[in-house]
Amino acid sequence: MSKVLQFENVTKQFGDFIAVRDCSFTVREGGVFGFLGGNGAGKTTSLRMALDILRPSEGRITILGAPPSRENAAKIGFLPEERGLYRNMKVLDTVVYFGRLKGMSPADARKSALGLLERFDLADRAKSQVGKLSKGLAQKVQLATALVNAPQLLLLDEPFSGLDPVNQAVLEEAITEAAQRGATVVFSTHVMQHAERLCDRLLLLTRGSKVFEGTQDEARAILPSRLTLTARSDPAELPGVAAAAPVGAPTDGWTLFEVQLESGANPSQVLEASTLRGFALRSFDIDRPSLHEVFIHLVGADQEIVR
Amino acid sequence: MKDVLLVAGREFRQIVATRGFWIMLLIVPLAIGATIFASARLAPNPGVAFTLVDHSGLFTERLETRLERDHQREVLRDLAAYVERWDIAGLEPAAPWGQRGNWMVDSEVERFVQLGGADAALERLGRALPREAPEFDKPARLFPRVDPPEAVPTDQGPEAFGAALAPALKEDVETPQGKLPLALGIYIPENLGAPETAARVWTNGGVNYGLLNIVHEELTAGMRLDVMQAGGLSQQAAAQVQALSAPIVVIEPAAGEERGIFATGSIIPVALMYLLLITAVTTGSMMLQGVVEERSNKLLESVLACVRPAALMNGKLVGLGGVGLGIILVWIGCAVAATLVSSGAIADMLQSSIQALDQPWMWAAMIFYFLAGYLILSMAFLAIGALSDSMQEAQAYLGPVLIAVMLPLMIMMQSSLRNPDGMITQVLSWIPIYTPFAMLTRLGTGVSLIEVIGTTVLLVVFIAVELLVLGRLFQASVLNAGKPGWRGILAMLKPKPAGD
Repeated sequence: MSKVLQFENVTKQFGDFIAVRDCSFTVREGGVFGFLGGNGAGKTTSLRMALDILRPSEGRITILGAPPSRENAAKIGFLPEERGLYRNMKVLDTVVYFGRLKGMSPADARKSALGLLERFDLADRAKSQVGKLSKGLAQKVQLATALVNAPQLLLLDEPFSGLDPVNQAVLEEAITEAAQRGATVVFSTHVMQHAERLCDRLLLLTRGSKVFEGTQDEARAILPSRLTLTARSDPAELPGVAAAAPVGAPTDGWTLFEVQLESGANPSQVLEASTLRGFALRSFDIDRPSLHEVFIHLVGADQEIVR
Repeated sequence: MKDVLLVAGREFRQIVATRGFWIMLLIVPLAIGATIFASARLAPNPGVAFTLVDHSGLFTERLETRLERDHQREVLRDLAAYVERWDIAGLEPAAPWGQRGNWMVDSEVERFVQLGGADAALERLGRALPREAPEFDKPARLFPRVDPPEAVPTDQGPEAFGAALAPALKEDVETPQGKLPLALGIYIPENLGAPETAARVWTNGGVNYGLLNIVHEELTAGMRLDVMQAGGLSQQAAAQVQALSAPIVVIEPAAGEERGIFATGSIIPVALMYLLLITAVTTGSMMLQGVVEERSNKLLESVLACVRPAALMNGKLVGLGGVGLGIILVWIGCAVAATLVSSGAIADMLQSSIQALDQPWMWAAMIFYFLAGYLILSMAFLAIGALSDSMQEAQAYLGPVLIAVMLPLMIMMQSSLRNPDGMITQVLSWIPIYTPFAMLTRLGTGVSLIEVIGTTVLLVVFIAVELLVLGRLFQASVLNAGKPGWRGILAMLKPKPAGD
């Protein structure tokens, strides 16, 4: 898979403030890539640099095989965090206008715009003024402006913020569809649920610095899984178990234990050892760490994120 | 370039779609149309009626003769202008109507009357008149005389006459020219000139100095004649002395060449200067609103992901320029249509002013100054928009900028009414933000080509610098939120890497 977006030791400084610090990562073609981080982590600045709206103070960025420039606009779709549209423009004209700005012919832009409006249940509002739409409908129009050119690379900055559950579902579907047709989707979020549902790979940023890059499994593996089991005796003697604490009083001789594994140990080893030693078990539950927990572990609890 | 045109097209359509644009577009032609209509149809008749009781029997005829001569003088003046307008003066150059200045010469007026007046003249000229020429419109008599109202006694002394006439002086009376206010009631006693006697004149309180002067002059002339005769002059000699008039020949250049060159030559450029001010300020405000909307709506980021800040800025300027030019074209079209429809004084004035601008470079300069002025003001509005998150913020910048632009221009406009080429206008010609306005004001006064070239070079350099500065300001500020202080603005003007 070729590299769609690559940051190499990128730093962006605004006066004394460093928004992005020596950041390197690579987004490969296909799939959904998540920028995770709290407010002020450097997500928006990174996306703006990828789009050539801002230039890095140091380092190098490559997007679709070339340095950032508007020459790439035809292959990129972008949904900014702070959204807005020309209130006096008609819905169809708005989408067509952005298609034209991305190098599409008037006919192609119109055809694509009509298709998107149909898909987002906005076909009957094509001639309405944007200013007369509800917030939810206007956000759909904005999404259409990002998708009108069927982009190879879709950059979404906090795309779910401000959306109601129905429109969140519409957006999730659009992201999934874009990925299925082969586009690479990069989106920033501070809502871990969205990342867990959609992202194949993740980049965790805090205060402008990268703290993690990899798959969800790799992220979860940073923290040991939690194990709870019900046994007649203390499981602390089992190999791989660092400690075990009873939860509540025994019932009919059975006690629920919360087990802390040794570093590098995994629950399946504990289960295997129990079976071999004839260690009686009534229940055995593995609780993998959530991204939220991983995030808190990596960046600290003071970061503003949402489960 | 394609991006610039796309942005320009959107800006153009956005402004054209506003109600304010159409109000502005239509208000000037409507105002001109209303003025023409009002002056043609609704203008009050300048004439007033008077009534006269002459117990001496010496002045009625004298006054009538004078009024008739003055009326014929006006007819001759208008006829000569009409003949010249339709280019048939050469048909009878020696006729009284063959020269425009003849109306000032009593003997020419008399000759005109002897030749049969306007009717006879028009009959002689009729065949030569072009088809499109409208019928000659003879001026109405200004001061028709009417009989005293029936209820007014004329033989019971002046007091009774005046008292009875007073109510009638508040009313209009029927005259051959239609209903006119009864402005004067004149009572001349039998023995005017004897001690303790005076002619009495009652007025309606209006400004009737023209008629009053004529009455006074003719009564004086009549009395002088009596005195001259009493002194031994024969009636004929006394009449000759009275009729003496200093010979005067007024020589005017042909129309459209030099006559009124300053006035006529300045009409189009000065009109353009006013139109420039109106359109630039109005459409600039519309663009300012658009830029503030983009910033407050947070949609700039979406646009900047597709086009460079410079392309966005230039697109806005081009779009706004298109709006301005469109407005001017519509207004000029309306003016041309008005001249074609009216084919009278306005057409003459426009034709004269076009002829007065006889150098091709003057037209080029006029168009250049208009576009340059438009660009300079538009850029100022764009800069304000780039610095403001809301219209309230924009107002804070707009006030001082408008005062700085308008105040010197107001002073210049005031002084240019007396002298379009005065010191203030000359000085402002060399200050680039005022150059277009000052030079448009001066263009019709015969400003030198060297001065035009000098101010043009300065203006071009200024616009280039302004574009550069605005580009940096726009680029640096479009994604910044909040109102920057003056230090912040200066920091934005420092060169930075593109895209930053």
